[in-house]
Amino acid sequence: MQTKNTKLDYTLISIVLLLGIVSCFALYTVQPGLRPDLQDDQFYLKQIVWYIVGSMFIVVIMLFDYDRLRQIVWPLYAIGMIALLMLFFNFPGEPFIRTANGATSWFSFPAIGTIQPSEFMKVILIITLAHVLVKHNDIHKKRTNKSDLLLLFKILILSVPPMLLIAVQPDLGGFLVFIAITASIILISGIRWRILFGLLFGALFITGILVAAYFLFPGPIQTFLEESIFKYVSGRFYGWLQPEKFVQTSGNQLYYALLAIGSGQLVGKGLMDMEVYVAERQTDMIFTAIAEQFGFVGASIVVTLLFLLIYRLIHVALQSNDVFGSYLVTGMIGMFSFQIFQNIGMSIQLLPITGLPLPFLSYGGSSTITYLLAIGIVLNIHSRTKEYMFD
Amino acid sequence: MGKKKKKKFQQLPFRLNILFFIVFLLFSTLIIQLGVVQILFGEDAQDKINATENQTTYNPVPRGEMYDRFGRLVLKNEATRAITYTPPKGGASAEEKVTIAERLAELIDIKNPEDKVTERDKKEYWYVLNQDEANSRLTAEEKELEIAEQYQATLDKITQSDIRYLDDNEDLLEVIAIKKQLDRAYELAPYIVKNTDVTAEEYAKVAEHLNELPGIDVPADWKRQPVYGFTFKNFIGSIMEGIPSDNTDYYLARGYSRSDRIGDTGLENQYENVLRGMKEQIQYTTNKSGNVVDSEVKLKGTQGNDLVLSVDIELQQEVDKIVKEELQTAIEMYPYQNRFMKDALVAMLNPKTGEILALSGQRFNRETNEYEDNSFRVLYDAHRPGSAIKGATVLSGLQSGVITPGQQFYDRPIKIKGTPEKSSYRSLGTVNDIDALKRSSNVYMFYIAMRLGGEFNYQYNKSISYNPDSFQEIRNYFSQFGLGVETGIDYPYESTGYKGSNPAAGNLLDFAIGQYDTYTTMQLAQYISTIANDGYRIRPRLVKEVRKPTVYNDKLGAVLKSYNPEVMNRIDMDQSYIDRVQEGFYKVYQESGGTAYSYFNDAPYDPAGKTGTAENEVYVDGKKYNTENLTLVGYAPYDNPEVAFAVVVPNTGAISGQYPINHKIGRGILDAYFNLKAERDENGVNMNLQEQEQNEETGDETASKEENSESE
Repeated sequence: MQTKNTKLDYTLISIVLLLGIVSCFALYTVQPGLRPDLQDDQFYLKQIVWYIVGSMFIVVIMLFDYDRLRQIVWPLYAIGMIALLMLFFNFPGEPFIRTANGATSWFSFPAIGTIQPSEFMKVILIITLAHVLVKHNDIHKKRTNKSDLLLLFKILILSVPPMLLIAVQPDLGGFLVFIAITASIILISGIRWRILFGLLFGALFITGILVAAYFLFPGPIQTFLEESIFKYVSGRFYGWLQPEKFVQTSGNQLYYALLAIGSGQLVGKGLMDMEVYVAERQTDMIFTAIAEQFGFVGASIVVTLLFLLIYRLIHVALQSNDVFGSYLVTGMIGMFSFQIFQNIGMSIQLLPITGLPLPFLSYGGSSTITYLLAIGIVLNIHSRTKEYMFD
Repeated sequence: MGKKKKKKFQQLPFRLNILFFIVFLLFSTLIIQLGVVQILFGEDAQDKINATENQTTYNPVPRGEMYDRFGRLVLKNEATRAITYTPPKGGASAEEKVTIAERLAELIDIKNPEDKVTERDKKEYWYVLNQDEANSRLTAEEKELEIAEQYQATLDKITQSDIRYLDDNEDLLEVIAIKKQLDRAYELAPYIVKNTDVTAEEYAKVAEHLNELPGIDVPADWKRQPVYGFTFKNFIGSIMEGIPSDNTDYYLARGYSRSDRIGDTGLENQYENVLRGMKEQIQYTTNKSGNVVDSEVKLKGTQGNDLVLSVDIELQQEVDKIVKEELQTAIEMYPYQNRFMKDALVAMLNPKTGEILALSGQRFNRETNEYEDNSFRVLYDAHRPGSAIKGATVLSGLQSGVITPGQQFYDRPIKIKGTPEKSSYRSLGTVNDIDALKRSSNVYMFYIAMRLGGEFNYQYNKSISYNPDSFQEIRNYFSQFGLGVETGIDYPYESTGYKGSNPAAGNLLDFAIGQYDTYTTMQLAQYISTIANDGYRIRPRLVKEVRKPTVYNDKLGAVLKSYNPEVMNRIDMDQSYIDRVQEGFYKVYQESGGTAYSYFNDAPYDPAGKTGTAENEVYVDGKKYNTENLTLVGYAPYDNPEVAFAVVVPNTGAISGQYPINHKIGRGILDAYFNLKAERDENGVNMNLQEQEQNEETGDETASKEENSESE
């Protein structure tokens, strides 16, 4: 049985490798069209470096059994929370903390560059929740309403604090990713359907009340929205619904993203042939570069590739004969699926614009390393899955 | 253990499959929406991109010129050298502009740059050169400000010592002055960097280096040059550079660009639509980065159309001269008595066509002791006219039936109980309607006014019955002559005069002799024209025709539009009544005992009209001084009038033996008119008037003072 431990999931590795190639290639094509002050960085080269660094992390992770993660889960969670709290209190302040586009989300180190703790916190939260889930289910073998509610309480007490800390940065995208992670963990936690549906309807009910209140008393609520911290959220909603009208302000990015993607049409304009300037094209808007150059065909291939990634993760989760492993992978599925859907969806007007990278494709050190770490854990789980002949 | 696992494997895969199904739905949505965006609306998006690639520029064309009634150029466009800057689409960066400014400063000379550059300009310049340094001075809080506020904060942190080195450096100040001009330009719209005193050398140097100066051009430009200096300049008006900022949308919607020149005052403003022409439209094709890759003339512009004025510029010059000289004579003859006198106003027009021949207003500026051309006062200033309007009073009396033709009254002082005695300048005995005009009887007019007010049985020192509505009745009559209403002149503004608001009986009597409401000189000219023209009130015109522009200044283009005489109304009065008033007016000028007889009886051109003297108080520091307005209206020849005029000289000293300035001016301008006419019958119109002027003054702006001794 021990000999099986070294088994590698080549399918998953190939998919990630392909995505890495697509990423560097897309970054190479957008380089000439970037703002002049971004021209000094060769993003595709730097992305290659991040992929190599990430791969080394994967190798390191493969050396240990992922089950060892359960031993360091609390210190990890504590470190993540402390980092987020430091951002919240803006401690120790400049130049160690960086604020960009109005959001205080980064630590800045002289040699290394900037680090975004919320990216790492995503994986830490997944590990923590998976661990808590396993422990709880071991103790409470028989499911009762009481035990289910207790578990729900445990999950929320762990996931809500980091969620709120990220929401106030403000980082709406990150906040939503944490919700997606938590929701997928809750779904497979074993909590019984009656409670899940109760939770679902409760959420729908509260949303319904808020929406109804907005339409019944538009005046005061609108004023509240526009004068509070939600100002920037509501602006995005207006920009989402009518990008042409708000093309000078909140609709700007979506307007140009739609122009770029739309004008790609069926087969695209061809390699390096981009007519529309889209801000942040090297990071959050990388998908517009693919869609404009290679059209619907190219964009669909990339979406399919990402779908295959999720499919493969589901496969690993199903195959794993260890619940902790399955839970971990499920968390990853929630994280990846939501980010992919949100990132591509926001550039084609399915969802409002939020700052979220497209996993594996967008340029970014913290995010790329985080996602490769996650893939490392998944590979680890897969390699330690025992195959039963008749299972 | 096995059982437990079994349980896990029962529920976990099921829920994972649900999760997978949700993911599948989400990804399907993505693909469907991608199809909508890229395939369904893909072409629309491409169309939008293509549409933004073309931008049309509107290049200004020369403005229309103005000619006098005989085709003599009055206002011309003088070709000048200009250096313009047209920023690329999306504008140029501050660094690029500084580079251009530095290069331009080497090639052209800016006079007194230190006067044109403010401290803020210096700071902005310093900021462009030292951006990193400037930004590093901001605090963390300031860095979170909005861009504009942050920029202001950055500028505030630039100290005096930072920019001190600029103060004595003429070259750098020039660079800043040029940069300031470049900053004012809007994308793809040419903006003038320098167009005054551009020397041929500067022009050539810049033209040679155009390839190093992106956006800079050296097009032919023009400026407005009145050929006869101040003569008629008040009415020609002026243009302004750039559309008015309080009305930007209005002008932008009408095809103007922000840096356009636009008629500001006078005829330049009134006939803006005629003079402006149609701009040349050039479509620039720009690529993504905003560089112009192709240009195509979409519409060849047309120059603005020319105006032919009704004014006779030669006559205008002489009238200006006469008015000024007579004013000077009067003031210098009785400097103390005439110490409140400063204006003399004249309007002259053809009563049958309404064409204005000359408008003149000269003012003695008592602060500078100089004579100035203030001709606009003919339209802007209203004064009490005195007896000059008695023709309208008599016609009102006849038409309303309160007097009959030939009706007689005994002219002696009148007294209404409780009010001061009123009289003519002396008791005139029995007068009929014609005599009343000839000898200017006030008492006769008082009788008309009292009867209009309902009092037919006036007794000395008794109160009278009086209906205040009669005030409105007589004003209605007067307005038919253009008195108290707009004359309808083609000019952006005219005053309608002041209307007294107290309808007391005494005021009605004063009104009847021109001592209550005030009128402009133009209104008086229209009034006398209406009587001269057998009751037809014609709209006065400054512009006769609109013509196509030509390349030659001495030739007129084809007529595009000709303004025919426009009858505004015919007065209600019977022709037989008008005939009687005309006869009275004739006797004023031509019969012994007429108030203007001694000045006009020897005139060969048979003039007729009416004199006027109005009491007019001047208040200085609360103290009242009595002065008189001297007026004169008239027309000639009596049988077939071709010229009508009004003269108003306000605030002359109320003394006996006063210099008869109204008569002197009236006689002078009529003589000038008929002398010119005789001369033209013999030698034709002197078309070379302009060249004489130019030889003398070499077309320089500073020389356009009123110096026209040539024509005398």
